[in-house]
Amino acid sequence: MSWVGRSIRRVEDPALLCGAGTFVGDIGGAASARFVRSPVASGLVRAVRGPAYTIADLDADEVGNIEAVLHRPDYVRLAQPLLARERVRYVGEPVAVVVGATAAEAEDLAEQVELDIEPLPAAVGLEAALAPGAPLVHPSESESNVMVAGEMATPGLAEALEGAHAIVELEITSGRQAALPLEARGSHAVTERFGGRTTLHASIQAPHMIRTVICDLLGMPEADLRVVAPDVGGAFGQKLPLAREDAVVVWLSRRLGRPVAWIEDRSENLMASWHSREQRYRLRAGFDASAHLEALQADVAANVGAWPCYPITWGVEPLMALAELPGPYTLEHYGVRSRGVASHTCPMSPYRGVSRPVITLALERLMDIAAARLGVDPVEIRRRNLQSDFPHTSPTGLRHDEGTYREAMEQAVSHVDLGAFRARQHAARAAGGPQPGIGICTFSERTGYGTPAFAARAMGVTPGYENVELSMDPSGYVTLRIGASPHGQGLETALSQIVADEVGTDPGRVRVVASDTDRTPYGWGSFASRAMVLAGGATYLAAQKLASQLGSLAAEVLEAAADDIVLADGRATVAGTSVGVEVAELARIAHHHTQRLPAGATPGLSAQAGYDPAGTFSNACHVAEVDVDPDTGGVSMRRFVVVEDAGRLINPMIADGQIRGGVAQGIANALLEEVVYDDDGNILTTSLMDYLPPTVAEIPDIEILHLETVSDATVTGAKGLGEGGTIGAPAAVLNAVNDALAHLGVELNEMPATPERVRAAVRAAAGRSPAGENDRSTQEAPVR
Amino acid sequence: MKPARFAYTAPDTVEGTLDALDRFGDEAKVLSGGQSLVPMMNFRLARPEVIVDIGRVGGLDGMSAANGTLTVGARVIHARLEVPAVTTPDGRREPLGGVLGSLLPEVARFVGHLPIRVRGTFGGSIAHADPAAEWCILARTLDAEMVALRRGGERAIPAADFFETVFTTALAPEELLVAVRLPILGDDWRAGFCEFSRRAGDFAVVAGMTAVRLEPATGAIAEARVGVGGVAGVPVRLGGAEATLVGETPGAELHAAAAETAAGEVDPVGDLHGSAAYRRDLVRAMVARALAQGAGASG
Repeated sequence: MSWVGRSIRRVEDPALLCGAGTFVGDIGGAASARFVRSPVASGLVRAVRGPAYTIADLDADEVGNIEAVLHRPDYVRLAQPLLARERVRYVGEPVAVVVGATAAEAEDLAEQVELDIEPLPAAVGLEAALAPGAPLVHPSESESNVMVAGEMATPGLAEALEGAHAIVELEITSGRQAALPLEARGSHAVTERFGGRTTLHASIQAPHMIRTVICDLLGMPEADLRVVAPDVGGAFGQKLPLAREDAVVVWLSRRLGRPVAWIEDRSENLMASWHSREQRYRLRAGFDASAHLEALQADVAANVGAWPCYPITWGVEPLMALAELPGPYTLEHYGVRSRGVASHTCPMSPYRGVSRPVITLALERLMDIAAARLGVDPVEIRRRNLQSDFPHTSPTGLRHDEGTYREAMEQAVSHVDLGAFRARQHAARAAGGPQPGIGICTFSERTGYGTPAFAARAMGVTPGYENVELSMDPSGYVTLRIGASPHGQGLETALSQIVADEVGTDPGRVRVVASDTDRTPYGWGSFASRAMVLAGGATYLAAQKLASQLGSLAAEVLEAAADDIVLADGRATVAGTSVGVEVAELARIAHHHTQRLPAGATPGLSAQAGYDPAGTFSNACHVAEVDVDPDTGGVSMRRFVVVEDAGRLINPMIADGQIRGGVAQGIANALLEEVVYDDDGNILTTSLMDYLPPTVAEIPDIEILHLETVSDATVTGAKGLGEGGTIGAPAAVLNAVNDALAHLGVELNEMPATPERVRAAVRAAAGRSPAGENDRSTQEAPVR
Repeated sequence: MKPARFAYTAPDTVEGTLDALDRFGDEAKVLSGGQSLVPMMNFRLARPEVIVDIGRVGGLDGMSAANGTLTVGARVIHARLEVPAVTTPDGRREPLGGVLGSLLPEVARFVGHLPIRVRGTFGGSIAHADPAAEWCILARTLDAEMVALRRGGERAIPAADFFETVFTTALAPEELLVAVRLPILGDDWRAGFCEFSRRAGDFAVVAGMTAVRLEPATGAIAEARVGVGGVAGVPVRLGGAEATLVGETPGAELHAAAAETAAGEVDPVGDLHGSAAYRRDLVRAMVARALAQGAGASG
């Protein structure tokens, strides 16, 4: 019986559910650091007065600057100080830091610090930052706010657009979002009195990488810094980059010789942690007479904030958009210009899905609009355009392994009973009141990025591989040490299932050690839907090696051929016989009676392995059903269906949890959540009364169906799926909102689709209605 | 997110509370549940020197009905208004019936979430005076009276005078809100409440309450009250919409006309959760729906 494929309970949960987890804020025993942050979006720092440490103190200790690098000619390189030096560039930028005995006392001290800042004009929104003469965010380093740009076009694009039967043009915008982990960021550093070694506990996703960069900044050997990510209460990409604050906390603990902690509060997290996805896409698409998408030209701009993030850089959103915009479709001709535009706002980091929620929104709105224009059903237009021959190579050179794009859509559509829905919708249109709408979204999710994928980005460091170390102790229990850094995903449980199958033991006899640089091999951490593919693959390979060692030992003990040994249920058995030995006994022998080992064998039972694949695409179809109230603009979710293909499922329950959480975030992004600045760069959404995550009342039950196309692109056959929920849901919801109001002539291509925006779209459509279709057609290019 | 330093006192009696308020004056702030005050202190938007917690004061959590008036003690938690019951003079508890008995649960379900409804209090909400708070809209629409005690004196403040501006009431620093008196609407009244908020449990973007008294003989509207929240610094009554209704017979057309008048007579200020124009649209929708809800309840 296989453990892989079973929904066993998560070993992580009992402690978390009983309040017995250990988060950074639970460690205690430390003084409290509080950062004094810029109250203005742009300005020159004339003086800092009060009981605070500033950049001058860091400079005196020769602390370095952060350099997040892309090796591209169009990339502006910057050196970012850990605290603002001379200039502030966004509201919330850390300028100084105080240390108090308690958090309240630190807040009192912070109030005593006087920042003398001469305000300067600020460029806040995307259009303002791109405008000629816009205030520059980095005037000494760049003559414009475009900090990274990419451009490409396939040969024949212009001709294909010229010859198209119909041109559909579309502008999509996405509001700025915050990843909003339940636990905000935080760090806790203790420096040993003798020897000077520092231990940093921090709420982060990539402990080894963070150790490297902090040691580089502070000029210390990595052996002198231990970095531990204890229980981490959600991250979603926000805790992948280096937090300047974490590096300052290490510096403070070493300088002061006392434990120092910084526990970010919710306002700081909303104001000064990383944001994401303030993007605008302009598409021009050519379709043939059969509604095949033949050519796509795109102009993409992403507001990337005031500073890049280390090590991913602020190229991550615009360059992912450039590379992955063609999505799951068989489009041949593609051209794109994509720019990352700096502004006097909080910097951006990757957030679950990165650019793909907006890419998918753009493509899926395009498909629905084109379907309406060309008189084709939304399902049929996708059927005609989705990839079905594999491997498929995209116009940007991405190789899509086998997927089930069409099959997932057909199954989703059949599951929701589209015919019954249309009948209900028809009745509601006649009756007035809330209007039902349905929206479909098909997409691919690139997962399991290894070194080749990251190398293509030309980052200053190239993440990719994962390493694991596996050993069996004399009791027959297995310890797995991984470089990945799970934080709530259930990876420990899933990996124990893989080990159990290969070694013939029970997952309850597998312990996973992670997230501690002293106890794990170097690795890149958990992000980008990669851990199951990368760490899972490495675990599988290491477990096979361990199984082979056990097999050889069993062969020796049982006087059989190694090839005949079967490991199952805690026993090594000679195939076809009842002759066998307990694995636990083999473990004793391997450690305590090594004279019985085969000649030349290494004492003990251990194996290590690394894994570094090129990557794989999972796919899914989401269907959203909504009710829209045309009078208030309010949208209620009625139903949400996901048909997911993430290859072989190691633990279906965990996969479903990932999908549900992601869909909830995607619905929130589609309808509720938006970081808002005023024109001067003051942030207006610094509490959960203003930045609006959904409650359970706003999220419907999420129905999940699985296809399992076992991937040949990974050794386990598994694909990643951590981001898909968030990637697909916004487009499904926006398509549903538009479908609900289609009879009123509404077209809404902005997310979040807040009630006010929906209501404004209804009013605008009503204002156009006397002119009817003629008026609408002025927004779209004519069909030729 | 940690409050500035403050002193804390928790008297056992009304007298002790009034003494404390008298002594500390405007340095003091009364805590009655703390569901708004404590977050404001953590944000350091409120920095009272002294917190006077009335959580241990007896006698402020009763509900009673007499002479057409429901008296709600200041410390009655929101959750009790979901299933409103009164204590009779002989000490029995009986459900509050009638139009008000049906209206209160309709309103209470919009107040926060369950944890808020079991800690936060009716009087705390009234004294906090958020212009979009459900109880403030109810008090203003029904012309409630706020009973305020001070050392050696009591006064009843009509809702029209009580709410002065955002988070500001006519209560003097040394006064304690002990109860709110609401009219028990007779069977000839029809009341409705409708609210639009971004999420379940949020403060209203706009909420509307209507109450109309019908002439038994003709079915025409003899008296009308239309109140909305979320459009000004205080909950407001809409005299124009009320005038539109009086003398007419309820129905979809009349409701639409009154809602249109209502939308025309508010002068909202836009903010993050809704521009002035959008709030005006919501006033139209909420007033029309509250009227329809009230009319529906009659049938």
